[in-house]
Amino acid sequence: MPHPTHWKGKELPNVLRRLFDVPGGHRLAVARQHGAYSTIGATLFDKSPFELIELVKDSGLRGRGGAGFPTGMKWSFVPRGTGKPVYLVINADEGEPGTFKDRLLMARDPHLLIEGMICTGWALGVRTAYIYVRGEMLPQIQALNHAIREAYDAGLLGENIAGSRYSLDIYVHRGAGAYICGEETALINSLEGYKGQPRLKPPFPAVSGAFANPTCVNNVETIMAVPWILTHGAKAYRRWGTDKSPGSKLFSIAGDIGRPGVYEIPLGMPMPEFFELAGGVVGELQGCIPGGSSAPVLNAEECAKAAMDYESLAGLKSMLGSGAVMPFNATRDPVAILRTLTRFYAHESCGQCTPCREGTGYAHRVLDQVAEGKGRDGDIDHVRDLADQFEWTTICPLATADAWPIKSFTGKFRPAFDAYLAKNPDRAKPRELTQLEPGAFM
Amino acid sequence: MADLITIAVDGRDVQVPARIPLIEALRHWAKVETPAFCYHEDLKVAGNCRICLIEFEGPRGWQLGISCHMQTAPNLKVRTQVSSPGVVKARKGVMEFLLVNHPLDCPVCDKAGECTLQDNYMSQGRHESRLRDEVGKVYKGGADHRFTDTKGGDRGGKRIDLGPSIILDQERCIVCTRCVRFMRDVAGSEQLGVVGRGDHAYLTTFPGQPLDHAYDLCTTDVCPVGALTGKHFRFQQRVWNLKTVESIDPSDALGANLTIEYSFPGAQGARVWRLMPRRNPEVNKSWLANRSRLLYQQLASNRLGDGKVAGADVPLDDAVAAAAKALAGARRIALVASGHATLEDNAALLALKDALGERAEVFGGSWLAVGKPDGIALSGDPVANRAGLRLLGIPDNLDLLAQRAGEFDLLLSVQHDLWAADPAKAAALAAIPARLVLASWQDATVAQATIAIGVRCWAEARGTMVNCQERIQVLGACPVLPNPALEPAWQVLARLAGLSWSGEAEAFKAAQARSPRLAGLSYRAIGPQGRVLAPAAVPAAVGA
Repeated sequence: MPHPTHWKGKELPNVLRRLFDVPGGHRLAVARQHGAYSTIGATLFDKSPFELIELVKDSGLRGRGGAGFPTGMKWSFVPRGTGKPVYLVINADEGEPGTFKDRLLMARDPHLLIEGMICTGWALGVRTAYIYVRGEMLPQIQALNHAIREAYDAGLLGENIAGSRYSLDIYVHRGAGAYICGEETALINSLEGYKGQPRLKPPFPAVSGAFANPTCVNNVETIMAVPWILTHGAKAYRRWGTDKSPGSKLFSIAGDIGRPGVYEIPLGMPMPEFFELAGGVVGELQGCIPGGSSAPVLNAEECAKAAMDYESLAGLKSMLGSGAVMPFNATRDPVAILRTLTRFYAHESCGQCTPCREGTGYAHRVLDQVAEGKGRDGDIDHVRDLADQFEWTTICPLATADAWPIKSFTGKFRPAFDAYLAKNPDRAKPRELTQLEPGAFM
Repeated sequence: MADLITIAVDGRDVQVPARIPLIEALRHWAKVETPAFCYHEDLKVAGNCRICLIEFEGPRGWQLGISCHMQTAPNLKVRTQVSSPGVVKARKGVMEFLLVNHPLDCPVCDKAGECTLQDNYMSQGRHESRLRDEVGKVYKGGADHRFTDTKGGDRGGKRIDLGPSIILDQERCIVCTRCVRFMRDVAGSEQLGVVGRGDHAYLTTFPGQPLDHAYDLCTTDVCPVGALTGKHFRFQQRVWNLKTVESIDPSDALGANLTIEYSFPGAQGARVWRLMPRRNPEVNKSWLANRSRLLYQQLASNRLGDGKVAGADVPLDDAVAAAAKALAGARRIALVASGHATLEDNAALLALKDALGERAEVFGGSWLAVGKPDGIALSGDPVANRAGLRLLGIPDNLDLLAQRAGEFDLLLSVQHDLWAADPAKAAALAAIPARLVLASWQDATVAQATIAIGVRCWAEARGTMVNCQERIQVLGACPVLPNPALEPAWQVLARLAGLSWSGEAEAFKAAQARSPRLAGLSYRAIGPQGRVLAPAAVPAAVGA
């Protein structure tokens, strides 16, 4: 089904979705008919890098990978004139469960990513850029490689882009599918050929990232918004969204919803309205994960109050995250959902920090017991306590991303969990002590 | 010190050096005991164990941070377990997680008594277990080692033979990566790695590849738990039964600092059980080559516990009497000093030279080949006290002795295996009819001796050596193993010289008398970390 162009009489933003419904839009010739690379020329090269950074700052564009950090400010952290090369790394790992926007963007409009990278590269003085793509996304990798080849052939990449003084090379790097490689320092480790484990910060990537050089890591969607902002200006971008969350954003919605898919909407749209746009909730809404699996779940009342922007969801103690919206209806079992989520985080823990390595797995095993009807009194509080113990105590936020669903699901849907405990007739039995057998551990 | 800054620890101001790891500032300057598993003074920071969590005042208020990765900076405000319940709780949480999948079988673990996990459980954890049997522990280890135990538990990774010197227990590993970092960053040979993710991560080598590095036993030192154990010491002795004495590596001119660990004379018998590296940031950091570490194995084997005269075993006193007689009757005497012996021994040799007068001549040096430093804990020069010989003014002229062997009718060597160092050159020395040898082992030179006198070895007599950095270091003494009647070489030599020195301190004074650079020193003044000797005085320029 094609992407809707209008909603309630108003035109929906068209920053990122321009080629969603254009057959063959991933090919240069077709993309050019729709305005691809129109910025590559005087529009870009007449602007100084400083002016471009200021423009992006003015637009209020924020990182679309999950953290929502202001993009222009991130760029301004990259030191200039250090004599070291500056790398641009595109984070196309898109591992957050529920998120499927970047894969669509890369398959349908790879040239927009390249164009955005040229703009960003110009702003930051980048000579070499990488696209770190999740290994499973084969069609996207093929589309990107094909598009890059076309761009080189058309003089849009390599030496002296479009006859300018600026040169840029782009390499596609295929990851191996680890969730944690979406964390920027783990991504850099993986890019360098090391195990994908987050690095200690400081130093931050802007100062010492890929190959110990200044590095800017940006999400696919973020970078793809840059050419539009460059063409139309910061003010035009700000006509959508709220003051602190300006512009448009892609949301990938799935679950108990009429028309699951990727939608580009202005930030700040009320959540019920967005559900309506996406075909309406199927059945009676029980709750919704608003920003990828790490985002604390909202119950139906909170959903009614929520708007699709960073501040509104933060106000509800959740987050916009990567824009993966997962509503579920009253027939769904919160215990089963949480069990699946904790299994994911236990599986994806990189194994570096103690609390995450041992804690996420252990918490999941306790929840397994609960879900299998073998839970004991106190198990739910125990798991919540464990979540407290691994929240914010590790190098990266993976354990925190496990703690949030645990705490929000057990907090907001507690009766469902207690019902599972009630299935165990022995639930009040005291803990049995392990009896060591001689020789058992030798 | 000029570069001290002030940080606030638990509300009190503490003076600390700027830009050092906060954990060091807490431990050594604020005197707040701070636990760590992954942090090690001489390894790169990994920050993965999280037990050193503290609270600091950041831009968003008090927040948790790891003290190993943070650095001291002006106005830093820190709360530790002393003042913050949050820190206590966080550390307790880390301890609980560490123990979730760790076997709780300390009584049969070889590391018990020197296990960081045990120690920190007592200081930071002390929680009641909340773990239920049904929830269980996860399997830790490679697929090859998986087995089901008698209780049906999914087990594995026990007693894995990693190579010539190390056994790995994957279940006990807490994935601190100290050993991985040691092999990668210090040894320079990436033989160990952590594979797998989450709680299934485990330590291993490359498939089919052994762990076989000249320093791989250092991984057992840095291992905070009983995961890596050395074959030489594994299940040999409970560490709390051992006494320790500080010494240095006598087989290399760097003189890597080490600790001799031995059991009491008594029910078990006096025995040295192991040598452990002793940290000295200026010398060997925390490292000790396998070769040096295994020197203890020679201490009880092939020793020269008595005397020998004409190849026949005789009591020590008889051998000394025979030696005195031979010296009295000799016309020309070659005294061979040794860089394997202490300053005390060599000073006694020089005292004997003085007593013998014109008849005696001192030779020194070594025929052993000198290699290259390995940058870790070996200088490559096998003559540990070569700088000490120089200091005492002993010449480096062994080749000259071989050339002039015909001039002498008595050779006296001290702790110097001439025939093993270079048999071809040493063959010329057979022209000397009387060969008097003071040695600790029945070595190739003892085999050539007409009179041999057993003496205490490096581990049994207190003394000093000067290393290749001109650092004087003390060797401590553990109980004398082969024969309690053995004397240090300096004592035998002093007796032959007609002197009655009361102890090694007197021998050291004799050495001091021969070098102004030793002035003012004593064993106490040298201390456990050694002392770099003052530079030699430059003679005043002529006509100045």
